[in-house]
Amino acid sequence: MAVDDLSLGFGELTVMRHITVEVPRGSITALVGPSGSGKTTFLRSLNRMNDKVRGFWHQGSVRLDGRDIYGRDVDPLVLRRRVGMVFQRPNPFPMSIEDNVVAGVKAHRMVPRRQLRDVAETHLAQVGLWSAVSDRLHDSPFRLSGGQQQLLCLARALAVEPEVLLLDEPTSSLDPRSTEAVEELVRSVANGLTVIIVTHNLAQARRLSDYTMFFYEGRLVETGPTSQLFEHPSRPETARYLHGETAITSR
Amino acid sequence: MSTKETDAPGFKVPAPRQLAVRRDLGRVLQRLLRIGSAVTAVVPLGALIAMLVILLFEALPAIRFNGWHFLSGTSWSSGSFYSPPVRSGGVLHPLGASYGAWPLILGTLETSAIAVVVGFPVAFAAAVFIVEKLPRALSGVVGVVLEVLAGIPSVVIGLWGLFTFGPFLARNLYPLLGHLPDVPPLAIFHGNHGYGEGLLSAGLVLAAMIIPIVAATTRDLLRQVPEGTREGAEALGMTSSEVFFAVQVRWIRSGVIGALILGLGRALGETIAVALVSGSAMQIAPNIYSGMTTIAAAIVTLLDSAQSDPTGLETRALAEAALVLMAITLLVNIAARALVRRSARGAALPVGVGL
Repeated sequence: MAVDDLSLGFGELTVMRHITVEVPRGSITALVGPSGSGKTTFLRSLNRMNDKVRGFWHQGSVRLDGRDIYGRDVDPLVLRRRVGMVFQRPNPFPMSIEDNVVAGVKAHRMVPRRQLRDVAETHLAQVGLWSAVSDRLHDSPFRLSGGQQQLLCLARALAVEPEVLLLDEPTSSLDPRSTEAVEELVRSVANGLTVIIVTHNLAQARRLSDYTMFFYEGRLVETGPTSQLFEHPSRPETARYLHGETAITSR
Repeated sequence: MSTKETDAPGFKVPAPRQLAVRRDLGRVLQRLLRIGSAVTAVVPLGALIAMLVILLFEALPAIRFNGWHFLSGTSWSSGSFYSPPVRSGGVLHPLGASYGAWPLILGTLETSAIAVVVGFPVAFAAAVFIVEKLPRALSGVVGVVLEVLAGIPSVVIGLWGLFTFGPFLARNLYPLLGHLPDVPPLAIFHGNHGYGEGLLSAGLVLAAMIIPIVAATTRDLLRQVPEGTREGAEALGMTSSEVFFAVQVRWIRSGVIGALILGLGRALGETIAVALVSGSAMQIAPNIYSGMTTIAAAIVTLLDSAQSDPTGLETRALAEAALVLMAITLLVNIAARALVRRSARGAALPVGVGL
C-alpha cells in the first residue's frame, strides 16, 4: 500500500496533513503516537471506513497495487474485502459462532453453501479457537470471553482472505493472555498478509512490527524499521514520546 | 501511620457508635427491600390467578349449561325474557336461550390477524425509515408524534374509524380491492364492500392502533444496535442491506417480537374501537367487508341487555366469553415467549432476553 500526500479531515477540521508513506507487502507496520494524533482516522481511511462519516474529505491518494482506492472505479465493498479490519472492541454479530466466521464469505458468495462449515473450521483453527468452540458452533458468541470474541472477529476478517489487515488497537480491551494469543496470531498470519496495527502499547509495537510510524498532532513525524525507530529515533518528538512512555511503564 | 495523615479529612475514622447505627440501618433497609420485592413479585401472579378463579366461578353455570357447544356454536340467542324461565341440566335459563361463541372467537382472531399482518410491516418500515433515513432533528419530531399517537384513547380512534376512516376505506380502497384477481388468497377481497363497518375496517383500525406501539419500540431497539457491530459488518464489505439483515434485524429480533406481542395483546382485547367499527353483528363474517364482532366488543355491546335476563345466565355466558378471551391471550403470550426463546437460540440477543 502506498500513501501519497494524504491529507484528511471532517468539515473544517484537518485531522491529518500530507502523509506520504509506503507499506511493504507482507510486513507488519505499527502506528504509534499519543491519543488524538490521528492514527485511527488514518487507519480507517485505508479501507474507506470514514466515507460515511459526515463531512469527511481527503486529498492525495492511497494506492493498493498501484490503483487509487478512492478512485471512481473502485467499489468500497470490493476494497473492504481486500482490506479487512478488526476493531478495538470485539464486535461479534448476533448470530451463531459458525455464522459469525462465515458472514463475510457468505456475503461475497466465495464458496458453495455446503462448504461454509469447512471454511468456519479452517479459520477457527487458524486463530486457535477451534478446540474451544468446536462443540458449540451454533451457540451465541456473546458467551465467549472477550479475548475469544476478539479471536472470533479475527477469524471472521481472515475468512474473506484479505490482502491487507487493519487492526485498530485490537488488544486494548483484552487481558495479557488474550493479548499474547492475538499477537501470536498476527505474527503467524503476516506471512503474505500485510498487517497495519494501531497500538498504544509501545512494547507491543516493538515485539510485533517490522516497521513503525510515529504520528503526532496529525503529522507523520517519523517512520522506519521498528528497531531503528525505537533505538535511534531521528526526531526529538519521537524520542520524547518513546522516553516518556518508557518512564511511565518502568515505574 | 503518622498523626498528620489521620487528621487529613479523608482519613477520619467514624466513632464506633455511628458505625453501628449505620450498619443496623443498612440491615433494616435491606430486609425491607427484600420483603417489599417479594410482595411486589407475587402480586401480579396472584392477581392473574384471582381473576381466573373469579371468572371461572362466575361462568360456572354457563359452562355447565353450554358445554363444548359454547366454543363451536354459531348462534347467540338470549332467549325470551318474558316467558317463564325453564330449567335444563339443573340450570335455570330463559326459554330458547343458546350461547354459541364461535363467531366471536373467530372474529377476535380474524381482526387481530389483519391488524398484525397489515400493521407490523408498516410499523417496522416506519421505524427503519425514522432511524436510518430521517435527519436527526426530524426523526425526533416524528418520534414524539408516534408516542402521542400511541396514547390516543381507543374510543377516539373508534369514533374516527366509524365516521372517517371506515367510510373513506369503503369509498376509496375497497372498490379497488374488488378488482384484484379472483384467485386464492386474493379472492377474499371479492364481495359486497358495504359502508365501512365490518371485519376489514375493524382489522385496519386495530392496525392503526398497534402501529405506533410497535414502531416506537422498534425504533428504540434499532437505536440500541451498537455502532461497532455495524461497522464490523461494513468492514467485511457487506452492502448496507446485508449489514441491515446480518446485524440490525438479528439484534432487535426478539425485542421486536416482544413488541408485536404487546400489540397483538392490545388487538385481541381491544373493546370499544372494535365495537364501534365492526358492525356489531353476531355472525361469522360472510366476506371480509361484512359486519361481525369480537369477544371483547360483544361483551360490551351485550352486557346491558344481558343484565335484564331474569335468570342471570347471559351475564354468566359473557363471563365465560371473557374466560375464553383470557385463555386466548395467555396462549398467545406463551407461544410468543417460546418464539422469542427460539429466535434467541444460537445468538443470545441483548434485548428482551438475558444472555
